[in-house]
Amino acid sequence: MTALTDERAVTAPSAAPRAWGTARTVLRLHRTALLLWVAVVAGLSGWLVWLTLVTAPAERAAIDCAGEDFCDSTVPGLGFGTPVGWIGMLVAYAFLAVAAFAGGALIGREVESGTARLAWTQSVTPARWLAAKLAVPALVIAGGMTVLVLVFRWSWHSDPHLVFEEWSGAAPFLARGPATVAYALCALAVGALTALLLRRALPALGVSPAVMGLLNLALTRLRPSLWPQVHRTSATVVVTPEHAWVLDEGALVHGRPRTGVPYWNCGGAPAAARRCLDDLGVTGYYASYHPQSHFWPLHLVETAVVLAVAALATAAAFAVVRHRTR
Amino acid sequence: MTSRPTPYALRATALGKRFGRRGAWALRDCSFRLPAGRVCAVVGPNGAGKSTLLALAAGLTTPSEGEVIVLGTDPASARARVGYVAQDKPLYPQLTVAETLRLGADLNPGHWDPSVAEAVVRAGELAPGSRIRSLSGGQRTRVALALALGKRPELLLLDEPMADLDPLARHELMGTLMAQAAQYGTTIVMSSHVVAELEDSCDHLLLVGGGRVRLAGEIDELTEAHARVSASAETADLTGHTVVESRTTGRQLTALIRPDGPLPAEWRTASPTLEELVLAYLRNPRAASLTPAEPADRAGTTTKAGTGNATADTGAAA
Repeated sequence: MTALTDERAVTAPSAAPRAWGTARTVLRLHRTALLLWVAVVAGLSGWLVWLTLVTAPAERAAIDCAGEDFCDSTVPGLGFGTPVGWIGMLVAYAFLAVAAFAGGALIGREVESGTARLAWTQSVTPARWLAAKLAVPALVIAGGMTVLVLVFRWSWHSDPHLVFEEWSGAAPFLARGPATVAYALCALAVGALTALLLRRALPALGVSPAVMGLLNLALTRLRPSLWPQVHRTSATVVVTPEHAWVLDEGALVHGRPRTGVPYWNCGGAPAAARRCLDDLGVTGYYASYHPQSHFWPLHLVETAVVLAVAALATAAAFAVVRHRTR
Repeated sequence: MTSRPTPYALRATALGKRFGRRGAWALRDCSFRLPAGRVCAVVGPNGAGKSTLLALAAGLTTPSEGEVIVLGTDPASARARVGYVAQDKPLYPQLTVAETLRLGADLNPGHWDPSVAEAVVRAGELAPGSRIRSLSGGQRTRVALALALGKRPELLLLDEPMADLDPLARHELMGTLMAQAAQYGTTIVMSSHVVAELEDSCDHLLLVGGGRVRLAGEIDELTEAHARVSASAETADLTGHTVVESRTTGRQLTALIRPDGPLPAEWRTASPTLEELVLAYLRNPRAASLTPAEPADRAGTTTKAGTGNATADTGAAA
């Protein structure tokens, strides 16, 4: 009964409590999801901290061959690199779970069960309801994602010898910057739009991660073209910089790049090798690649594209609600 | 009764709604006026368009044609002053009763009266800490009504509100609603397909059938405008009167008519009950509709004529 009686005072209709009321309602409705998200962020961050502060030094000691006659350094840092790789995967693709949540629990269930109509017949407009439904989770998700990205970056860069994935790998590429946050926000908007269009929880739960998966797949394909590549040709085999993301390399046949020329078969004495190459028509070599310094331009362009999609999906979701209820 | 800015709580003009571009019309060419402060029954068979009409008034869907004016403005602007309870009484199953009422307070800043909502919940002996998903259908109806009443609406739209209540709770909640209407001058519009349920408490009727308004007006005036007559089938001549329904059994003719002028003295006449009236119209979809006449429109705007011909004196909004 006490819970009921402390609501006696009728709140003043000023702007601040109005916004707070809707925000509080959203938090109250999705308390379980909020607690789960906090647990996931804390769990993954804690695991990364443990791996970096406890596992990594032990691994380093194990592969530190100084002063020993024989040691096996062929499998370095499996105890660190493997779990960090897995966590990177979870962080990079967390947006799929966000899409499922937004499509299913956040909006889909409300539209299907009619509770959206309950909310729309209170004093807040449907547009404000949608704004609160998107803004509150957006803040919570962006906050959690930022923490995960920062902790992951710290772990990843703590010892380059212990991680064996390249920066250009799909998961580490996403998990080390704001693109992860952008994907999560985009998943939120796309999930909301899908649920509003389909009006059913279960189909939206399935369709919105699928849409986000396709978007990610398309951008992964397009990723090398998001920033100008470095093209180099040389009379000798092109030596790409360390950690370069090599996209294409091969031989120039009469000055034109040609793939599948078996120039690597030409060996032996320099003169014989020269003759072999002349027979093949090889006049030089080429390589196209992104040096490691292209990480940020590539990453930020992709972030911008994803944020643009998120903005479009958000605008469309508001248009759907406005059109339906005016 | 409190003074109001508009004489009408609801005003529909050629209102129509269809679902999908080529879908069937759920409601068509629907024109009526509901004066403020009335308790109005929206009656009709299943699928007649009652729920659509209430959803349009609540601003949950937009009309395909025509318009509906709620409390003198459009449904979206009237949102804060209108309470609505949908037919399936949607509530958040994961919340407790107390949390549901707090949601009402949070989503209705400046409009929320916790004492009203709490009183409704308390009368049902619902524990504030019990989860909505653990409640029975009738208990959920009570919480849904508490949420709608706590808002202290000027217009309360209830879609089949009493369907899953036991007779005792129905009586008690109806009493709460009537007290609300009397105390604050709240206009109540409730739909039902059980006419008897509404006869005692409602003073205004809106009969919807086949997506159209068949009868609209004060219940007293509507029953007075009709007569149930029985006469000899050989001598009786019903021409001149609007016949809603007539039946000949042997030499006896019984009919429900809208008399136009005095009736012969040898006819036995009686006032129909509300239920008889409603059933007669529902059984005879071709009977001419009776909706309020145009001069009653005090707002001064001339609206398009409603369905059928309207008799000038009946249904004139007081």
